Amino acid sequence: MGTTQILFWFLTALALLGAIMVLVSKNPVHSVLWLIVVFFAISGHYILLNAQFLAIVNLIVYAGAIMVLFLFVIMLMNLNAETEPQKSIWMKFFGVATGGLLLSFFISFIVSSIDLKNKTAQLKEGDVGLIKNLGKVLFSDYVIPFEIASILFLSAMVGAVVIGKKD
Amino acid sequence: MTNLIAYIPALPLAGFLLLFFTGRRMSKSMIAFVGAGSVCIAALLTIVIGITFLQSGSSANTQTLWQWMRVGNFSCDISLRLDALSLVFVFIISFVGALIHIYSIAFMRQDEDYARFFASMNLFVFSMLVLVLADNLVLLYLGWEGVGLCSYLLIGFWYKVPANCAAANKAFFITRIGDTAMAIGLFMLFKTLGTLNIADIQQQAATIPNVTTIALLLLMGGMGKSAQVPLQTWLPDAMAGPSPVSALIHAATMVTAGVYLVARMNVLFLLSPAAMNVVAVVGAITLFVAGCSALVQTDIKRILAYSTISQVGYMFLALGCGAWSAAIFHFFTHAFFKALLFLAAGVVIESLHHEHNIFKMGGLKNKMPLLYYTFLAGASALAALPFISAGFYSKDAILWYSWSAGNGNVMLWAVALTGAFITALYSARLVIVVFWGDMKTPIAQQPGKLMTMPLVTLAILSIIAGFVQWPHNLLHVTLFADLVEKVLPATVLKQGIPPELLLQLIAAVVTLGGAYTGYLLYYKSPHIIEQWKTAEPNLNLREFFVKGWRFDELYQTLFVKPFLFITRSNKADVFDKIHQWLVTACSRLNGWLSLSQNGSLRWYIGSMLVGIIFILALQFFL
Amino acid sequence: MDSLQLQALLPFIVLASASVVIILLIAARQSHTVIQITGFLMMCLVVLAMWYVRDVLPRAIMPLLVVDGMAAVFTGLIVFCVLIIGLFSFIYFEEREENPKEYYILIFLGTLGAAVLTISRHFISVFIGLELLSISLYALIAYLRNRNNAVEAGMKYLVLAAMSSAFLLFGMALIYMDTGSMDFDGIAKQLQTQGHSPALFVTGIGLMMVAVCFKLALVPFHLWAADVYQGAPVPVTNFIATVSKIGVFAVLVRFAQAVQLQSYHFAVIIISFVAIVSMVGGNLLAIKQQNIKRLLAYSSIAHLGYLLVAFLPGNAAGIEAGMFYLFAYSITLLAAFGIVTMLSGRQADADQLEAYRGLYWRNPLMGAILTVALLSLAGIPLTAGFIGKFAVLNAGVQQQLWLPVIVLVITSVIGLYYYLRIISTLFAETQVIFPKEKSLHPLFVAGTYGALLVLLILLLGAGIFPSAVIDGIKNFLCQGFRIINF
Repeated sequence: MGTTQILFWFLTALALLGAIMVLVSKNPVHSVLWLIVVFFAISGHYILLNAQFLAIVNLIVYAGAIMVLFLFVIMLMNLNAETEPQKSIWMKFFGVATGGLLLSFFISFIVSSIDLKNKTAQLKEGDVGLIKNLGKVLFSDYVIPFEIASILFLSAMVGAVVIGKKD
Repeated sequence: MTNLIAYIPALPLAGFLLLFFTGRRMSKSMIAFVGAGSVCIAALLTIVIGITFLQSGSSANTQTLWQWMRVGNFSCDISLRLDALSLVFVFIISFVGALIHIYSIAFMRQDEDYARFFASMNLFVFSMLVLVLADNLVLLYLGWEGVGLCSYLLIGFWYKVPANCAAANKAFFITRIGDTAMAIGLFMLFKTLGTLNIADIQQQAATIPNVTTIALLLLMGGMGKSAQVPLQTWLPDAMAGPSPVSALIHAATMVTAGVYLVARMNVLFLLSPAAMNVVAVVGAITLFVAGCSALVQTDIKRILAYSTISQVGYMFLALGCGAWSAAIFHFFTHAFFKALLFLAAGVVIESLHHEHNIFKMGGLKNKMPLLYYTFLAGASALAALPFISAGFYSKDAILWYSWSAGNGNVMLWAVALTGAFITALYSARLVIVVFWGDMKTPIAQQPGKLMTMPLVTLAILSIIAGFVQWPHNLLHVTLFADLVEKVLPATVLKQGIPPELLLQLIAAVVTLGGAYTGYLLYYKSPHIIEQWKTAEPNLNLREFFVKGWRFDELYQTLFVKPFLFITRSNKADVFDKIHQWLVTACSRLNGWLSLSQNGSLRWYIGSMLVGIIFILALQFFL
Repeated sequence: MDSLQLQALLPFIVLASASVVIILLIAARQSHTVIQITGFLMMCLVVLAMWYVRDVLPRAIMPLLVVDGMAAVFTGLIVFCVLIIGLFSFIYFEEREENPKEYYILIFLGTLGAAVLTISRHFISVFIGLELLSISLYALIAYLRNRNNAVEAGMKYLVLAAMSSAFLLFGMALIYMDTGSMDFDGIAKQLQTQGHSPALFVTGIGLMMVAVCFKLALVPFHLWAADVYQGAPVPVTNFIATVSKIGVFAVLVRFAQAVQLQSYHFAVIIISFVAIVSMVGGNLLAIKQQNIKRLLAYSSIAHLGYLLVAFLPGNAAGIEAGMFYLFAYSITLLAAFGIVTMLSGRQADADQLEAYRGLYWRNPLMGAILTVALLSLAGIPLTAGFIGKFAVLNAGVQQQLWLPVIVLVITSVIGLYYYLRIISTLFAETQVIFPKEKSLHPLFVAGTYGALLVLLILLLGAGIFPSAVIDGIKNFLCQGFRIINF
């Protein structure tokens, strides 16, 4: 087992732990902090895949901008453990049952897929995530969706302004 | 000129549309102007077109307006065809129609539904013109149903009286039996030939295997419309409509639609001797049955109604014998004198405070001389008094052909002769009882000019219309037969029959005898009838005739009562239970499903998850 | 990208620039009327652009987009719907105190999203188009935020749509993992070489179906429909009911065509299942509904179920039937919601059935149009709805899909009940005095009535002479089926 693989398993375990902790934390602020851990772990995965640009963007956008926003919102709304509404036991049971079933389906599908066993992630080898290649692809083949994505943000912006406007 | 054909039906249609949509806002004179004017112009146009047509000497003019529909290999055009046969009909419809419309202007003046009346009348004229001008049977059927509808609307014109509505319903239902048979006939015709174009049918008729069935089904349709036994019971009741309606629809035009259909489809009938015989026998039975009933009626319009049935019976008899032109000729003269009689009867009824019973009339001869003489002209034409009436020329031809024509025989002749006697008898009775003797009801009003003008015109025509066609042995004038035989087959004569003159003499004697008998019984010595009435069986017979040979009661027992019994025994409605169950099931399911729409987002997400799991499970286990 | 490809994209570029123009107009403080008219003209410009570029079709813009005949039909239908909805929007928003200007930006952006869907041949463009549509819709649904249920409806749609997008992405990822391609044709090619239906592909399809069914509001992903239809402003409801569904259905058809979706047994089973439960569920839910917006929501659930029956055969006849059905359905709903818009007052939408009592006697034209629209929804002959349903039935019967076809027939009969219920309300006698009609600019009232009349003529015209529409669709489809080599 090389360093890469040790790192891979470590990051995987960290991501899973973080995700579970997001769910089980009673305090929303803790949830958000755990979410940052998850993002860091995933950025680590990107680096392992030789996609440094994506890793950095992931950190800046999600762990940086979005999480700060989340924290602001939570603090402004003064959410804490006491104000959380009580869910009925049935609801919990239902959620666990459906979620569990869904998970088991996915696992069984993935396990039953023969092809998948021959496919492994190309650690340290791929170069799509490098800023140069990404830029090339984005501004040649994928220029139209890139433009449309900008329109998408326009739409989101207008929508947010309209809903949030004061008058 | 021939491309003007379409305007003949278009004018009444335009009148109908105008009256239908804006009639409520029009003044009465405006309504009369539109209603009668459209038909009058159509009549003038007909005359112009008719003259051009006759001069051109062509056999048929077809005008295709547009394609109505095309389904698969079936196509149907809106296409009009003018030939000698349809020309005669179009002439009668538009011309007599115009006179009756003019008459109606005054006759219906007091009615509040003036616009509705003229709208319906115009629609009727339009439908009837479509019927006779149609170049294919689908369009003909459209007109056929159109006149049925208008007949329904006009019989029930005074719909506030329940009896009138019942009469309208009866007319509609009974003709519907015939219409259904006719529709089946049309389907069969289309199935065998693949076309309903009249010209194509005439060409390909010889290839039809089941021609008798088709001919009989078409005949059924004709019998329903033309009130032939056993579908005749609706016509006497149809007299509930206003008198102009009776004159136009139930005497001059619509009831002869059956005659037109049989004549138009003569190729089919010629191919099937059995069908021809049926036509002749139906005609013979009808003319006798209806004639007997006409003898004993007391309602003036019912007498005329039965006499119409009987006269249309003559036409069927002629058709069945193969005397095509004689049948159409009789239609031609009958239209004039029967329309006249109905219009005159309308005047009588109107003048006598809506009195229908002839025995409460009388003595009108001196008070209303003009009416009397016109009525007399009509009655003598109906009775077929020799030489001086149009009816003589047409009926004499039928009598002669009923024996001498290819399909005729002595039995048919004998029935027709008896019918002629009866006809003359009840015509005389009608004139004598209504116009002679003492006055029993005072006169309310004299008819105006608008009403007398059509009467006089029709009276003149009732006398002179017959001169266009004389019996062969008297004078060689055969204008009518020459015209019609461009379209209809010529009448074939048999060998070895008595000389025509002899039969004519017999017929003349019988007719005069009938008229004289009427004079004797109802004027000279009425006590004979009083005596006759004292005997029980005679009264029963009279009652039997008055009730129209009890056909209504027969149908009541045969069809209506069993049907009512079935409906009554299914009062709980077994089939409805199934529907009830379905309704309950739906409404309960609706209740359950509505529970799912509880507005809670958490629940919505949950249901989505369940859906996803369900889909994945489906995939997993398939 | 060469100039021809750019030309082919011209209508979409115009569509995108329409929203920018509106933004600039708002910045220049122009009035509602000006914006409305400009929007209308821009939509006309889009139509003109489509006409202008018709000769360069079909054209693929590798690897993401393809502008072909099918795309032209769907885009044309979408633009037509937006044109009409735009007209209805004016009289609706002119009454409201809220500022209506930004509404037009969002509407055009949403339209662009739906239009992008129709030309997508790649997962990336599908996703972006779908998101563009959804994000515009979030804001549009909650646009009248002073009304409680508007924000609630927007929130519900946001959460549920985000969730469905997550499943869509997951499904796409699984398929990408399996085939190594996100291009429809690439996936199809890869599947052919593999020669069997691998588990990952199957799961991916299943998850993507969830998102598609959600957007089309099919049972069991339909629960949002009624709440959102009710909460959204009427023109937005109209937009959701027509434009967003046309776009999603277009992409579904294109994807299914590329990968031969109907040749997979499991896919047919899933789609049949969804179609059947949608037909039954939608119609049953509508039976007792008193709120006309919710009722039309349920009705559209059922109608999308019918549409799936046409989608099932997967042959040309089925696609034609589906397109005709979508056409008929769209113009019918446009007309129905148009009447709802016309009747909506300042305070609340006219969504209670009571508001329609005796409508025919108060305003015969509107009553007649709504009657015809409802008859068309019910599938009564002489209306476009009947021909559409007949075409769908025909397509189903030809492929011997007996179960869906029988369910279609039975549920149509159930549906008749609630449509006739509304119609009978329209003709009922009424004593209630209703407020006078709104005093609006006569030009717009005339325009709205004109639009309604056009819809009425289309409804009846397509019902009486359907061959013109069907031939048109066939013509365009022939272009679409032409094999494209670049």
